Amino acid sequence: MSDSKTDSVAESRASVAVVDAPEPDDAAEPGTDIEALENEGDIAADYIEGLLDIADFDGDIDMDVEGDRALVSVVGATLDELIGERGEVLEALQELTRLAVHRTTGTRSRLMLDIGGYREQRRKALTRIGADAAEEVKKTGEVKPLAPMTPFERKVVHDAIAAAGLRSESEGEEPNRFVVVHPVD
Amino acid sequence: MLEEALEHLVKGIVENPDDVHVRARRLRKGKVLEVRVHPDDLGKVIGRNGRTAKALRTVIGSLSGGRYVRVDLLDLHEVR
Repeated sequence: MSDSKTDSVAESRASVAVVDAPEPDDAAEPGTDIEALENEGDIAADYIEGLLDIADFDGDIDMDVEGDRALVSVVGATLDELIGERGEVLEALQELTRLAVHRTTGTRSRLMLDIGGYREQRRKALTRIGADAAEEVKKTGEVKPLAPMTPFERKVVHDAIAAAGLRSESEGEEPNRFVVVHPVD
Repeated sequence: MLEEALEHLVKGIVENPDDVHVRARRLRKGKVLEVRVHPDDLGKVIGRNGRTAKALRTVIGSLSGGRYVRVDLLDLHEVR
């Protein structure tokens, strides 16, 4: 996942850049050290757990470090209200959780929040979509635009297309930004 | 529950959590949750292009179980 092509890397940076105010300071390194990422996970888990308690949701919180970001997953209960249609509530919660981490650490967080395995399932489905689109473009030799997706979704699709040996780019403006698959030339 | 959830979400992201106050007011249909924060934190809870405010509304809207809930973000000293 971290060896993705420049396009998708630039994209995931861009998606973080719009979250809030300017960089806290230039000395803030991207959180690559494990301890800092685990600390992010702890802060995020407290924030989410507080919400679960108040809203009376059962659910356990798992913490992990995946590549260069902290991963916090809520598992175990029926959590549809916290996921929402197309994951919109999950995205909102992730954004708030990143802000909560930022408030405490002073460093911009790229933490990933998952709820009820939503991202994991979505990742599988999107990998499939990317691989299928790549196959099709290899056969037809024609440029193929895909449906609008969130930054997370596009990242997964870019990775799947790159894995199939093709090139892809994102076009359009949020929230209708979409992936375009290009044939090899 | 919604007031408490909103208070928790906001307190976690501001510099002055002790200054966060949430008050619920009834409307003819649904309700309004008025969140008051320290003046220095108002920009933070609104966010660039209203992103943070939108995120708060999305979560609260989902927890409200389909009832109409408006979320107003105000400066602590704002009179209305």
